[in-house]
Amino acid sequence: MVRKFLIFLLLVGLGFVFFTLVSDYTLPEALGPTARHYGEKGISETGALNLVTAVLVTYRGLDTLGEVTVLFLVASIFGFYLKPENTRRPSPPSPLLNTASGMILPLILLTGIYIIVNGHISPGGGFQGGAFLASAFLLALLAGTGRQLSTRLFSIIESSSGFLYVLLGLAGLFFAGGFLDSRLLPGGVPGKMISAGTIPLVSILIGLKVGTELSSMLIKITHSDGES
Amino acid sequence: MITITLTTGSLLILLGLYALLTRDNLLRIIIGFSLANTGVHLIIVSFGYLKNRTAPILNDTMIAAGPETQIVDPLPQALVLTAIVIGFAITAFLLVFALRLYHTYGTLSLSKLVEKS
Amino acid sequence: MTQPILFIALPLLATFFTGLTGKRYGKFQSAVMNLALAGTVLISAYYVSAFVSGTRQPYTASTAGSLPPFSIAFRMALPEALTLLLINGLGLLGLSALKTTFRQKGTLSAVTYLLYFMALNGIVLTRDLFNYFVFIEISSVALAGMVLFKESGRCLKAGFSWMMATGVISIFLILSAILIYVRTGALDIDNILLTDPLVLYSGSAGAFFLFLALIFELKPFPANGWALDVYENASPAVSAVFSGAGITAGLFALYKFLPIVGDRWLFPLIIIGLVTFLFSNILALKQHIVNRMLGYSSVGQAGLIAAVFGMGVLSKEDMFFIAASLMAVHALAKGGLFWLSHHTGYTSVYEWAGIRHKPLFIFLLGFYIFALLGFPPFPSFFAKWSLISALAAGPYGWMMAAILLGSLLEAAWMIRWFGFAVKGNEQTANEIQKTPPVYTLVPALLLLGLILLLNRSRFAFILTNAWIPLLFITGFFLLDFLPARVKNTFMIGGLGLYFYFLYPTLTEFRLIFAIIFLLGGMILLLAGYHYKGRRIGFYPSSALMYSGLVGLLTAGTTVEFFFWWELMTLGSYFLILRGKKSLPHALSYFLFSMGGAYTMLSGFGLLAAANQGSLALETLSSGGPFQAVIFILLALGFLTKTATVPLHIWLPGAHSEAESDVSPVVSAVLLKAGVFGLILLMAGMGPQSLGRVNLYTALGWLGAITALIGNLSAIFEEDAKRLLAYSSIGQLGYVLFALAMMNHLGWLTATVFALNHFLIKALLFLAIGGVVMRVKTRNMYEMGGLIKKMPLSFISVMIGIIALSGVPPLTGFAGKWLSYNATVLSGWYFQGVIINFAGLVTFLYCFRLIFTIFLGQLKDQHRQVKEAPFWMMVPQIILMGVILFISTVPNVALKPVGTFLTRYFPEHALVWDGPMARSLYGYWNGYMIMLVTGVVFAAVFFWLFFINRKAVKIKQFNIVFAGERPSRPELTHFAYNFFAPYQKALGFLVAPVSTDFWNRLSEGTHAIAGFIARLFSGNGQSYVIHQILFAVLVFFLVLGGI
Repeated sequence: MVRKFLIFLLLVGLGFVFFTLVSDYTLPEALGPTARHYGEKGISETGALNLVTAVLVTYRGLDTLGEVTVLFLVASIFGFYLKPENTRRPSPPSPLLNTASGMILPLILLTGIYIIVNGHISPGGGFQGGAFLASAFLLALLAGTGRQLSTRLFSIIESSSGFLYVLLGLAGLFFAGGFLDSRLLPGGVPGKMISAGTIPLVSILIGLKVGTELSSMLIKITHSDGES
Repeated sequence: MITITLTTGSLLILLGLYALLTRDNLLRIIIGFSLANTGVHLIIVSFGYLKNRTAPILNDTMIAAGPETQIVDPLPQALVLTAIVIGFAITAFLLVFALRLYHTYGTLSLSKLVEKS
Repeated sequence: MTQPILFIALPLLATFFTGLTGKRYGKFQSAVMNLALAGTVLISAYYVSAFVSGTRQPYTASTAGSLPPFSIAFRMALPEALTLLLINGLGLLGLSALKTTFRQKGTLSAVTYLLYFMALNGIVLTRDLFNYFVFIEISSVALAGMVLFKESGRCLKAGFSWMMATGVISIFLILSAILIYVRTGALDIDNILLTDPLVLYSGSAGAFFLFLALIFELKPFPANGWALDVYENASPAVSAVFSGAGITAGLFALYKFLPIVGDRWLFPLIIIGLVTFLFSNILALKQHIVNRMLGYSSVGQAGLIAAVFGMGVLSKEDMFFIAASLMAVHALAKGGLFWLSHHTGYTSVYEWAGIRHKPLFIFLLGFYIFALLGFPPFPSFFAKWSLISALAAGPYGWMMAAILLGSLLEAAWMIRWFGFAVKGNEQTANEIQKTPPVYTLVPALLLLGLILLLNRSRFAFILTNAWIPLLFITGFFLLDFLPARVKNTFMIGGLGLYFYFLYPTLTEFRLIFAIIFLLGGMILLLAGYHYKGRRIGFYPSSALMYSGLVGLLTAGTTVEFFFWWELMTLGSYFLILRGKKSLPHALSYFLFSMGGAYTMLSGFGLLAAANQGSLALETLSSGGPFQAVIFILLALGFLTKTATVPLHIWLPGAHSEAESDVSPVVSAVLLKAGVFGLILLMAGMGPQSLGRVNLYTALGWLGAITALIGNLSAIFEEDAKRLLAYSSIGQLGYVLFALAMMNHLGWLTATVFALNHFLIKALLFLAIGGVVMRVKTRNMYEMGGLIKKMPLSFISVMIGIIALSGVPPLTGFAGKWLSYNATVLSGWYFQGVIINFAGLVTFLYCFRLIFTIFLGQLKDQHRQVKEAPFWMMVPQIILMGVILFISTVPNVALKPVGTFLTRYFPEHALVWDGPMARSLYGYWNGYMIMLVTGVVFAAVFFWLFFINRKAVKIKQFNIVFAGERPSRPELTHFAYNFFAPYQKALGFLVAPVSTDFWNRLSEGTHAIAGFIARLFSGNGQSYVIHQILFAVLVFFLVLGGI
């Protein structure tokens, strides 16, 4: 109890620190120089209507590559650390879940794909869509149908999309302005499906990669409930 | 509004840290970590907010009016997306640690884990 | 066409590519991994050469076809290129160390490893704050993954704590990024710095959180428990890259982002860094788990280098040199040590005795340890020198003290470990069988390369003057496989040649000491022919010591002098460590030497500061306002070497436990290094006083007390070699006393005492060593009656003690006569009384040597004992010849000395008339004395010989005349506890006050370490509490709540 109280006091201290430090931060009335540039030039430079996606995939594409790598890394660690374990028989899923999943699953997949391929013109993008895809696999797992899914296939999709992603980045380096430059392909007409240079391509790769990575993490966790 | 989200964010961080530091159950510790992370994300997003503006997804009218006067800052939104995914990866990793610790020591209590060597 | 982005793209391509090839880690996957890291090594090497040769200019490469701040940029310049070369080089080496792990765990584990290095490359290259966060997260996760290469519950716990703690760090880091972005509208360093500093630093929230995040990445004390648990529990091959590469990247990030953080944080950075350095090494003292010890050392070194970044007093060039040297040496040496630990599989220091029969392993261990400790000729030595010199120029004495104290503590635990490896109990260890794998060898080669690359102008002597002795040393390391006799010949020949070449350049004291060091060394080395086999390690160590000694004479600058001083210490430590039971004594010798060396280093630093950075030894005469302090600091260094009370406690053990032919060297030759230093110091700096205290009067008293305590301690010794060792303390006390008088006769006395001590101690240690070799004990009460078995040794000892006790006709008397004259001349009557009393005490222990060992009854077990080995006798005979010669014609040696002494002290010189010397107070004729004594001796001898024929012989065990019944075995020897009555009267004088003091100091330090170590409980929650507490404390201490 004393310990908890002391920790409470400590956090009050931290809160005080935070409050004193941040209290004089006034909120800006207009965009900062970086954001203004995105607003003014973003569409002409990338051809994407969704500026968040433009920032994510092009301007700060390296961050995104990094974050995909974090996922891949965690999936890899699961891969060598969690040994597949098949002795445990899961309790059979309820018929309700089983039936419903068959109906909902295609819809979720479809929505995911839609979000991915429209990431540059409307809210969405590779991550969001990838998460959708993974949730579909989660449902499949819960419903018991996911047991048959091949982790090997997942890892091939995972790796090859990562590989292509880096290659695409390098192509930008050699044939356009820099690593991950989306102007490798023509910008096209903003708002069209085929536009914004390589942004849709990268989104698809990210979507595939995130989807498969999250799914394979889920599979590895559910499959390895025993001793290693 | 911005002050509300900022305060909420800060409180979430503190709350999360409190859970992280005082709970004995590994899963609750991890939940505390997630809470704190969410607080951070909230703070990031609220710092990009500008009054009376809209999301940085353009349409023709906005382009015509000059996008830079219409939108909120897109950068924090991009950052927060990255931060969320990384936070997710770390949470997943922590959960695997909890899982393996449970299998190795047969308990989820941190204090009992520390005693066992 | 190279681009910095390849440092990221190459490992990523390799990662994803191997991901396609399945889980098995076969030859192909291994080749891909090696290629990826070799590629990054090659590219960084290319950049280094391009920047050094000037064919490329530093540049910033942006991504995504737009410039920062809109996109993320990488910077490539020489510091980046060097850091990357180091990091990726370690990565490449580490791959082979982990090969078996990868085979077991599959490709995905190798992928984790590769991504760790990708992330480190990103940390070094990126200019963007948020991008830095992304790479930090990748590296943290990858490291936690690598902790799981070893499957144990402890690893799991360590990994979990690690993830909790890094999670909190990442919260600070993201907050700082967004706060700085809000303030400046940019995320990359260069554009952030374009912001008006007033805007940037007002509020300072961003700077505060960034500072915390950067510091936490370096694991500051005490908020670093999570990292230490990782060091301890992870596979050492993982800790190697965590420490070597991870710390390097973390430090580079600190260096890079420090301008954003602002000058306000430089001072706290220094404090945090130095506290970390100091306390990490205190904590390491109490450890016996090697990996955890190395972990403490890693965070400590990181703290030191971080503090260097904070030191605004350093010039840019200095800072680059110091930081780069320390970082490179740390990365390579720490990598090497962890990999050795990985290969051997030992966890506790006690197990390391398993390498004691493998010279190459011992060599590697020593190589890395001494590189880390900043010994010459490693770049870390020059870094430490430059650092201390730079700090000495300002009011930063406390920083110097913290750095040197930390280094001393570091030396303590590292040398203890080294000692266990060389001399520990073999029973506790599995002996290592295999030869060292490549990954443990390569760092050593790279360190050698670093030495060669070192070409700073002020250290250019390495390449101009020092290369011959360094080659000499290297030669003995390389030729160590030859038989001992061949190496002995090389060594003697080498010293002889060196003397021949040096002779024309040497004058005055330098010539005298060259004779002692080189000719003396040659004579003593003759005893080495006695040893058969290869005597691995003896000759390289001797080469180190002799080169160091000679270097003291040829040094023209303080840095050269210190360079050779350290090498000499190193070599003599190795030699002493060779003794059977010398483990603790060698350690204490080393620690006292290091302590002395560090005070000396501070003294030289202050001296350079007083002379606008000039390093010439001549500057000793102009010490500026701090000259008394400089004098004291330097004198402390030299007095440690001459074992002056109370800095003497290392000597008896170190000298007595050494091997039979090492004791004479470390006693007769090595102690003179301190004497030479004192002469240099006193001649250079002249009279000194601190306040009202005349420092020379103080030194005189110190000398007198040392002489008394040394001699008194000697009379109560039962161990013959310890007796001689204490006697050395006393003799060196005389020398100090005589030097402190600062007049012609005093210095002449000192010279005579020094020469005399060399001759006598060499002779006595050889003679006693020979006896000990034969009778297998050093306790005098277990000997007796050896005169008939070892007559030559008897004569040696006899001549030795006559000379030592200062009775006519031998050289000791000359010293005594001179010393009386000088004492009267100085008017030091009180001190003179003590000195004379000490002289009387000398008789007591000298008497014991001859009486107890050679006279009396022969022990039963010694009936088959033979004379000491031939090669032990040869140098004794030479020495006896020299003693007799100088005693007969003292003018040959003393007249030239007197002549050049008049340059320092023109007054009161002796007037020579053939072999007769006149002073103000009388005259002395060595030749006549020798003649008279010789005649009297001969007469008495023949008379005794004549009447001896009438004596009745009785059997040895006829104890008719004995009156006591012995209750303990020792008591059967009449000489046991011979001076017990004196013990009652004078024992209080030799109460081990100094020893108690040093022991308490050491125990106290250990107790502190034990107390602090309780913080590190293994509980992740506690670690996070430490972090937050640390953050809040830093806030209130530095910003004071604004």
